[in-house]
Amino acid sequence: MAKIGVFICHCGENIGAKVDCTRLAAAMGEHPGVAVSVEYKYFCSDPGQESVKRAIRENNLTGVVVAACSPRMHEATFRKACAEAGLNPYLCEIANIREQCSWVHTDNGQATEKAMDITRSMVEKVKRNNKLQPIEVPVTRRALVIGGGIAGIQAALDIANAGQEVVLVEREPSLGGHMAQLSETFPTLDCSQCIMTPRMVEAAQHPKIRLLTYSEIESVDGYIGNFSVRVRMKSRYVDIDKCTGCGDCITKCPAKKISSEFDCGLGKRTAIYTPFAQSVPNIPVIDKANCIYFKNGKCKICSKTCQCDAIDFAMPDTFVDLEIGAIVVATGFQVQNNSMYGEYGYGTYPDVINGLQFERLASASGPTAGKIQRPSDGAEPQTVVFIQCAGSRDPSKGVRYCSKICCMYTAKHAMLYAHKVHGGKTHIFYMDIRAAGKGYDEFSRRAIEEDEAAYLRGRVSKVWQENGKLMVRGVDTLLGRPVEIAADMVVLATAIISQPDAKEFAKTIGIGYDEYGFYNEAHLKLRPVESSTAGVFLAGACQSPKDIPDSVAQASATASKVLALFSKEMLEREPVVATNNEATCAGCWGCVLACPYNAIEQKDILDRSGRVIKRVASVNPGLCQGCGTCVTFCRSNSLDLAGFTEKQIFAEVMGL
Amino acid sequence: MSIEEQYRTRAKELLSGGAVKMVIGYGKGTTPSRRRPLFITSPDDVERLMLDDACITNLSGYLVSEGLLSDEKRVAVFLRPEGIRAVNILAAESQLDAEQIVIFGFDVSGNEVQALKGIHVEEFSDVIRSIKEGAPEADEEELFEKIEKMSPQERFSFWQEEFAKCIKCYACRQACPMCYCRRCIVDSNQPQWINTSSHSLGNFEWNIVRAFHLSGRCVECGNCDRACPVNIPLRLINHRMAEEVLGAFDHFAGMSKTQEPVLASFKKDDSETFIL
Ligand SMILES: Cc1cc2nc3c(=O)[nH]c(=O)nc-3n(C[C@H](O)[C@H](O)[C@H](O)COP(=O)(O)OP(=O)(O)OC[C@H]3O[C@@H](n4cnc5c(N)ncnc54)[C@H](O)[C@@H]3O)c2cc1C
Ligand code: SF4
Ligand code: SF4
Ligand code: SF4
Ligand code: SF4
Repeated sequence: MAKIGVFICHCGENIGAKVDCTRLAAAMGEHPGVAVSVEYKYFCSDPGQESVKRAIRENNLTGVVVAACSPRMHEATFRKACAEAGLNPYLCEIANIREQCSWVHTDNGQATEKAMDITRSMVEKVKRNNKLQPIEVPVTRRALVIGGGIAGIQAALDIANAGQEVVLVEREPSLGGHMAQLSETFPTLDCSQCIMTPRMVEAAQHPKIRLLTYSEIESVDGYIGNFSVRVRMKSRYVDIDKCTGCGDCITKCPAKKISSEFDCGLGKRTAIYTPFAQSVPNIPVIDKANCIYFKNGKCKICSKTCQCDAIDFAMPDTFVDLEIGAIVVATGFQVQNNSMYGEYGYGTYPDVINGLQFERLASASGPTAGKIQRPSDGAEPQTVVFIQCAGSRDPSKGVRYCSKICCMYTAKHAMLYAHKVHGGKTHIFYMDIRAAGKGYDEFSRRAIEEDEAAYLRGRVSKVWQENGKLMVRGVDTLLGRPVEIAADMVVLATAIISQPDAKEFAKTIGIGYDEYGFYNEAHLKLRPVESSTAGVFLAGACQSPKDIPDSVAQASATASKVLALFSKEMLEREPVVATNNEATCAGCWGCVLACPYNAIEQKDILDRSGRVIKRVASVNPGLCQGCGTCVTFCRSNSLDLAGFTEKQIFAEVMGL
Repeated sequence: MSIEEQYRTRAKELLSGGAVKMVIGYGKGTTPSRRRPLFITSPDDVERLMLDDACITNLSGYLVSEGLLSDEKRVAVFLRPEGIRAVNILAAESQLDAEQIVIFGFDVSGNEVQALKGIHVEEFSDVIRSIKEGAPEADEEELFEKIEKMSPQERFSFWQEEFAKCIKCYACRQACPMCYCRRCIVDSNQPQWINTSSHSLGNFEWNIVRAFHLSGRCVECGNCDRACPVNIPLRLINHRMAEEVLGAFDHFAGMSKTQEPVLASFKKDDSETFIL
């Protein structure tokens, strides 16, 4: 005989003010099979939970229904309390009478009626619940970090330094990401490459890190603790084992006029190249699209030059299959293309550049060896106008959000310029100066007070060329008057946006993204570095625009999550998995196709002599995520979902 | 030589050479205008085979009779294009191995019987494609047009009236080649989703659920419709479902023996008009 306990929570006024809990408790007390029906102000409190436990022990309850808030809030709490009182936790169900009832209704009488229906339906379900045991699955202790920017490198190093294996996958020929392109970094003005390259080298040489550069993720299957990942190693056409990184081939390559991606088009590179001098690994790749040999079958100068016979024009892409326990996604960002602002002349006037290009101009390893020269004629600009929020906070043309770092890097640019071009003038058009962060406001004040950056609060309406100058027309809203400045160079603080393939890539690994393509965290406040897919974590600017300190902090946070996961040998999983009735299964394999997790296999049923008598579907409980897709598909109702069986759902519906 | 004679000769050859163990065809029925399924295993019986415009029943369902194909021997069967499509679906749903099926294809227009060329399902793909692409028959049934024009309320009461007649004999299911489940949903009583007594709710549940189970699978052979002892126009429901999946997913049931079931698979460009 069922002995169900019903525990009705007031949730303070949240439920109590709308639902007549006393009436509800009395009505449930009358319902067949209910042994206890009580109300209380806060069942989730310690005394509340104690009273549930006491009731279970005293009445030998066979099931518990807590009529309260959404199961997302406290299902775990009450299931744990039940377990502590000796009741299988899966014999406890939550009837949601808050979000689905008291919060959404105005009439007390009707809300109470509805609360009765919801609770009764759960009582009927619980009567048919079965004891379930959590499923244990082994954890593969090897992490995959995708993206070799500062965030990815940091996460990889933290995990590896704790003694766990890491595979670090970067799709460019070298580690480094955007940080490798920066000149000096706010708020301390230390040289970006000087602090970055030691990290790159450390990651490449770490015995626990396997580095796969010029590689992309082909597919991800499986689930937390047990992912199978396939990586495509794109052909470099240079044998990574033979090449010594001498660079002779690069010097000799006759295709020299290729615009350098690393220098944002301000410099040139060869067809066989490394993105920058300190590349890690220091092994060149051949850019097939621009290589003379690949274009017309003649050249091979690099291969003739190479002393080590490392160049192989027939080298194919290769694949690496990896068993992985946890994934850190650190795929970073890109800067928006500013050509959508026709009025700023980006793309038309060579001396209108973006912030990242300015970084390359200011970088000692950049195309001008750190001298600020304008791209058109190499002259040193005497007046520079910076335009902030060129794309950010602009719902009509750009993006709605604040890119967070541009105020700071523009202040930095103004400073770097002042240090390099004595007597030069800077004007900065801004909307607000957002300099929250340790040492950040001080930093931007320094730009104004010591380096004489002239901040003008207002927008720029137009940039045009006149007598060899770039004329900038804007408005100074604080003085309430239009301004016109004759500049030698204009720098746009371009919006930070997601990677061009961010959405596609999210589908490959199975995580969510927002409308802009930034990856969604499981909870903005409480689980900011976890994606909503168990075992996949987010670090750096792929989640939202971030500066280096934030990216690094988030990366270390993902490492601690990964290490916590790896601290266990086995992982407990919810036993909500599908099972198949082999006697009734018709073997149509619809479920095999329908299952989004590839959890269903075909199984042969043999007789004693080994002859196949029947083929049926068989669910692998390790892979099944309990989504129920197969159950809805199966025509003959052979599949059923533990914890949500057809019987239970039917009773629930009929209980309404 | 008439097609009937040609096919008799071919059946004789196949049976006597042992190429097939059985020929499933049509024989004399209870009245001169009716044909009944005939199962012959001896070359001496081929004279009993008949082929004329009265050969309507889709015989493909017999292929999945328990144990018939488990010895991996071949079976020949007389099929119209709908029957051939049904074999494709049965193969796609792993109910049979298409290699084992030898087809005697034919089609009827007016009272003319034509032979369809080919033996294996793959050889009929052009025939099937031309049916898919062919313009909807000019004389699409009057009743169908009428129902299409009804308001949802009118349509609902139309079907309510029709389904009220259902006596839950399950003849439709027995006659349908796609209803091969070892345990049909109506036979499952833990829980009893579909009420077995023949009152209007249970009747509605049964017929609607069956229509869903046939969507994207029904080849519109008409077996169910003809089997129904109380003349419920089941063909109309299935026809409507077939139109839906064709329109929404470009899915024409039984195009090939590897066609993926429409409700268990997805293409990236599937329309999502039903997701609000
Ligand atoms: C103009 C400018 C100036 C800045 N100045 C400063 C500053 O002074 N101080 C500061 O703190 N911050 C600064 N920043 C911000 C800083 O660049 C970022 O915080 C930092 O680069 C974020 O690191 P990340 O690793 O998250 O992303 P990224 O640096 O973008 O690295 C991502 C890496 O992942 C790789 N990747 C992407 N997709 C894939 C894939 N599918 N598979 C494999 N690999 C992939 C990319 O190739 C890249 O190497 C500046 C940014 C800009 C634009
Ligand atoms: S419930 Fe069914 S469809 Fe969903 S993951 Fe499990 S086996 Fe696959
Ligand atoms: S054949 Fe007709 S009467 Fe019989 S179950 Fe089917 S619809 Fe109902
Ligand atoms: S539902 Fe009716 S028309 Fe459709 S395949 Fe089955 S028997 Fe033929
Ligand atoms: S009605 Fe559905 S469950 Fe029943 S035999 Fe047909 S397909 Fe199977």
